[in-house]
Amino acid sequence: MLTDLFLTLCISTALTAVQAENRCSVDAKNGYKVRLSIKTALGNKAYPWDDSEMFLFRATLAFAMRVYTKSDQYNVSSVHVCDETPRVSFWFVVSNDTELVSAEDVEKAVRISRNRINSAFMLTDQTLEFVNIPPTLVAPVQPGTPPWLIVFGVVISAVCAGVVMLLLSSFVQKRRKKGILEDENEEERCEKQNGATHEVQEGSDDFNQIFVEASSSTKL
Amino acid sequence: MEKGNTRPSWDNPMQFVLACVSYAVGLGNVWRFPYLCQMHGGGGFLIPYLIMLVLEGLPLFCMELAIGQRMRLGSIGAWSAISPYLGGVGIASVVTSIYLCLYYNVINAWSFWYLFHSFQAVLPWAHCPANTNLTGHLEECEAATPTQYFFYRETLNISPTINDGGGMHMGQALCLLLAWMLVYICIVRGVASTGKVVYFTASFPYLVLFIYLIRGVTLHGAVNGLKYMFTPKLEQLANPTTWINAATQIFFSLGLGFGSLIAFASYNNHNNNFERQAIAVSLINSGTSIFASVVTFSIYGFKATFNYEACLGRLRLLLLNTFDLGEDAISVDNVTFWVTELNQTYPDRFATLSNKLEICSLETELDTAVEGTGLAFIVYSEAIKNMPVPQLWSVLYFSMLLMLGLGSMLGNVTAITTPLCDIRFLSRHLSNETLNGLVCLFCLLLGLGFTTRSGNYWLTMFNDYGATLSLLFICYTLHFVGLIHLDRFENDIEDMIGHRPNWYWKIVWAGVGPILIIGLFIFYIIIYIMGGTPTYQAWDKDLVTVDSAPQLSFSSHLLMHQQKAVIYNLYLLSATFSIPKVFIRIYSLEGGWVYQC
Repeated sequence: MLTDLFLTLCISTALTAVQAENRCSVDAKNGYKVRLSIKTALGNKAYPWDDSEMFLFRATLAFAMRVYTKSDQYNVSSVHVCDETPRVSFWFVVSNDTELVSAEDVEKAVRISRNRINSAFMLTDQTLEFVNIPPTLVAPVQPGTPPWLIVFGVVISAVCAGVVMLLLSSFVQKRRKKGILEDENEEERCEKQNGATHEVQEGSDDFNQIFVEASSSTKL
Repeated sequence: MEKGNTRPSWDNPMQFVLACVSYAVGLGNVWRFPYLCQMHGGGGFLIPYLIMLVLEGLPLFCMELAIGQRMRLGSIGAWSAISPYLGGVGIASVVTSIYLCLYYNVINAWSFWYLFHSFQAVLPWAHCPANTNLTGHLEECEAATPTQYFFYRETLNISPTINDGGGMHMGQALCLLLAWMLVYICIVRGVASTGKVVYFTASFPYLVLFIYLIRGVTLHGAVNGLKYMFTPKLEQLANPTTWINAATQIFFSLGLGFGSLIAFASYNNHNNNFERQAIAVSLINSGTSIFASVVTFSIYGFKATFNYEACLGRLRLLLLNTFDLGEDAISVDNVTFWVTELNQTYPDRFATLSNKLEICSLETELDTAVEGTGLAFIVYSEAIKNMPVPQLWSVLYFSMLLMLGLGSMLGNVTAITTPLCDIRFLSRHLSNETLNGLVCLFCLLLGLGFTTRSGNYWLTMFNDYGATLSLLFICYTLHFVGLIHLDRFENDIEDMIGHRPNWYWKIVWAGVGPILIIGLFIFYIIIYIMGGTPTYQAWDKDLVTVDSAPQLSFSSHLLMHQQKAVIYNLYLLSATFSIPKVFIRIYSLEGGWVYQC
């Protein structure tokens, strides 16, 4: 009986060990590969990748599963990691008690909480890569009025105002010129009439001033 | 008739010089000359360029100024005064200027569009927009670059072919309206307003170019571009295309034959020393071209280095990901070493990479020569988005483009309005302001056609095929006239500036110049005859490349259009030969030329 018990114990541990191995492997059906590029993202401020960071990753992923399923059945132990490389890349699977969570669910969970996962590691969608999970882009901000239209409005109002001012001022100038010309014409007519009785000016040569005056006022 | 007293004039000769500089220094100096430098052997291109300037550009420039200043009339009147049979040449000038005005202001509209879009926290051409599911970027943008996408899709909303008309782009139409209003405000009172505006339009681009020079040469990788430019490849001088391109560039850069210079000079004082001014303006124009190409090449170098290093970065990442090496293992500097190393150590694994492996080469990046709107709006904005504080550089750059374009537009529009204002009938019934306004309105309405989805293709057609032949013919006539009436010409010049032109002018006006122009003219006629269908590059949304699309189905229509333009000009010229004495005039053979209508 003891041997039977021992045998069953051995077989069950072997089975669980095999199961645990089958859970996380390279190219696992329900697993995803993760790649981190810490030094590219942070440069001098890069932190070394160690077990604590891995623990944080597993915890964040468990958080993401909790948010997605709205239940608290996921823990750090639910996330299994394997095939760690110096690149800092590894595969992970998520298990729900005994069975593995499907790839689609994991993907959806990751996409919803992507921002939180990224910020836990101070990385971005490009530097914390989930291979085959498309990134979630920030929804484009649609402002009420496109900003270019505002600048355009300002500039075109200024130009309009300039045009109107210039046209008005030239219109006013023309009016004024017309007024002055009319006065000048009147003066000329008066001068012509008086030219014949104009006296000879002093300090001039024996020159017929009348002739000079008359010729200067007849413009062609 | 003492029209000389009533004709408006520049406040001082400086305004005239600045107007000519503003007109001559235009977009071509920034986007055509650096391209030619690159295509024809870098620094070596300066040799044919300067030779052509001395033999062809300077004499024609001086002659146009002389004619304008002597006749004190726009191009139609001036040519009619030289000989009543040549009135058609003046009309051809005006028609060519109208064609140019129609499409040139659309480029200013684009500058406005980019300028207004620079006032944003993130420049819109810096990143691709997200697609509808927010899983990635738009396909069209991913396949091309964000700057190309912004230009072809968001700015132009371009259609696949010239046949697909599509509606007007409202944003473009608004910007075109603004551009024409700005032009109107600058020419509304003729030289009185133009004279004041040119102080700004002539000097501002130099300020920006200087700032960009400092910024450009301090950019990382600028030295690569400058080295590339200044290493002359003198074997290019043996290529006849180099010389022809140099001649054509001088020709278009100085804006000869459009009638703008005649118009500007017609407002001059009779004794203005145009000879010195012509030399000054031509030298300033060429100097600006060289200055702008130094700036452009430092920007090229920066962009090429940036792209080259990005390529190396991608390669590094690819190697790291495939071989799962730590990030410290490969740096951007030793990527090429590691490529060979890994190929030797893990050949089979390396073979899986073969289709993803890019070849990064700085030379190929530098060799991508771009000209025209591609350079100004795509390459430069790509470089700007990678600079620190890109909004500032963007605003500076597009304001500069705007001022360059505006300065040239002032000349183009003046070339149209001056002959119109000279026509007694029009100037009696309409005031200057109204006439100028009508010209601007007319050009605006027709120009709206270039803001449609296929507008850019039409613009390329007009730009590439519209003007060359007629301009060459006009300038040939100019030389011909100079040749025949050389004595009378010399007398008039002596009358104006006090001394006769020296031997250099006589040789180029009467000897070398006409030969060069005839040569160019024959060359372009041959090209026209042999060239076949005009082609343009089309933006293929699905392939997302810019390929050469000879439009076979539309070719006959296009050719007809082009032929129409040339034939129209030639018709006008020939028409005046066959219709003598259309204008009522008093023509004096001995005492000079007097024109009266």
